[in-house]
Amino acid sequence: MKQGDLYGLLIEFESPSLLAAAAMRVRDAGFKKWDVHSPFPVHGMDDFMGIRGTRLPFIILGGGLIGLAAATLMQWWMNAVDYPFVISGKPLFGLPANIPIMFELTVLFSAFAAFFGMWGLNGMPRWYNPLLTSKRFRRATQDRFFIVIEARDPAFKLEKTREFLASLGGSEVEEIHESAED
Amino acid sequence: MNDKSVRIEDTNTSLTGLGRRGFMISAVVGVIAMAATVALGAAAGDGMRRLGYTYLISYAYVLSVSLGALTFLPIMSVTKASWHIVIRRLAEVMAAVMPLLAILAIPVILFAGKIYGWADPQIAASAAMAHKAAWFSQGAFILRWVIYFCIWSGYGIFFWRQSLAQDVSGDDNITRRVENLSGFSIMIGAITIAMASFDLLMSVDPLWFSTIFGVYYWAGGFVSFFAVLTLLTFGLQNTGRMTRIVSPEHIHDYGKGMFAFTFFWAYIAFSQYMLYWYANIPEETNWFLERSREGWGKLGIFLIFAAFVLPFAGLISRYAKRHRKMLAFWAVWIIAAQWLNLYWVVMPSFSEKFVFGVMDVTCFIGIAGLWLAAITRLAMGHSLVPLKDPRLEASLRFENA
Repeated sequence: MKQGDLYGLLIEFESPSLLAAAAMRVRDAGFKKWDVHSPFPVHGMDDFMGIRGTRLPFIILGGGLIGLAAATLMQWWMNAVDYPFVISGKPLFGLPANIPIMFELTVLFSAFAAFFGMWGLNGMPRWYNPLLTSKRFRRATQDRFFIVIEARDPAFKLEKTREFLASLGGSEVEEIHESAED
Repeated sequence: MNDKSVRIEDTNTSLTGLGRRGFMISAVVGVIAMAATVALGAAAGDGMRRLGYTYLISYAYVLSVSLGALTFLPIMSVTKASWHIVIRRLAEVMAAVMPLLAILAIPVILFAGKIYGWADPQIAASAAMAHKAAWFSQGAFILRWVIYFCIWSGYGIFFWRQSLAQDVSGDDNITRRVENLSGFSIMIGAITIAMASFDLLMSVDPLWFSTIFGVYYWAGGFVSFFAVLTLLTFGLQNTGRMTRIVSPEHIHDYGKGMFAFTFFWAYIAFSQYMLYWYANIPEETNWFLERSREGWGKLGIFLIFAAFVLPFAGLISRYAKRHRKMLAFWAVWIIAAQWLNLYWVVMPSFSEKFVFGVMDVTCFIGIAGLWLAAITRLAMGHSLVPLKDPRLEASLRFENA
């Protein structure tokens, strides 16, 4: 297989505690575009990696407000404008009758915003991840722990970063490449 | 981030040095406020009718907080929750003061002839009351309150005693025994709390009925329970008790409880309103009609914002739920708003026009003061934390994912 552009550098650890210690050093070295991979959640990893709070709640709030507005406008237009029809003497647009739909669409749009917003923030969907070209990386779902620093990180300099990773006490550092286009 | 090494020995878990003073202050304030209330009630010159209504409101409110604690404990127990263990004793003590609340129910029974519609001969004689006559008699009413309080006191004291026994023996079987009886307690609690809400508040207007009313009352009490729990915890921590062991993670859960049940309360309140609004049957809508004019309607609209919209918006973010000052602010706010909601439920039956007076405030301070004195007295001499609960360690290390 031909190799494409450099994607990043991968290093493997044998235990979650080694991973946690290494993650803190990567964080302190000022890298931004990097990630850890583990077969199970490691408690406190967000802090070890210095991950800041997600923007997702604001996306969900936006989705919810759009749902609320959509439900209100839809019912108003249908019941009071497009097809006015008096039912049991109620006003054409009576708020209490419309609140259940306003509630439901707020919840529905919030859920969509949460689900697809999470996709968007995680860069999904994508066909494959260059890491999957690494044979060693397959054990990320079994019994090995990985750190990968991406080449697009501003602090990434191939040789210096390789030396830095090698000093973290893991296995040999492996170069990961994008698969070449045919 | 939780300090992983936090141990129960690192903090003061005793009321010594605060308990006696706290008890005296709240008891004295409570008694003075009650005396002032009675004086104001007598000065009103309506044969203590106004006093009876305001007593009912504040009593029902304080009772709902203890009932909140009494449902919180078994729910935590059957779900085998561990986050709450460090603060469980506070909920236990709130549930264990049921006997005091039984004593405080006596004035309600004495005032029954003045405040309940079914005791009014004119209403009792109406055709709509004919099939309810047996249910609404002084004797049956008192009998039901005896039954409610036997059950509630029984459970409240059971949870309390078992927990204290475990402090001494460290026996894991106690946790299992409480768990086994908790499921039944939730079921019995649901039935008795619903029935009690019918008796206590709904039967002020015995011609009106709402099957969801029990949930409505309970939800207001449950959200208030979280608010009171928050204030008690902060109060103890400000005097150097329970510090470190109750972390921002536990505080966050208080916030979640207040946020979730603010919404739950609003959901139930609206469900009740919407069905009556839609069906528009006179015997059902009359209750809302009385509460939508002469100033009561404005209070109702105000409550939509005070008890739902504002605390909902204020507590929605994670930041607010973990911010002590903000959480304390919303806890005070929720207590006031939920009390005001019961005021809106009860008072329009007393007066067609909006009324509010000093008496309403002093009565609330009086009953709340006596309640606070009782829980302080009960907690004195005991640890504020269940020291040998098998899940205590998990609770100390608890973190929100």
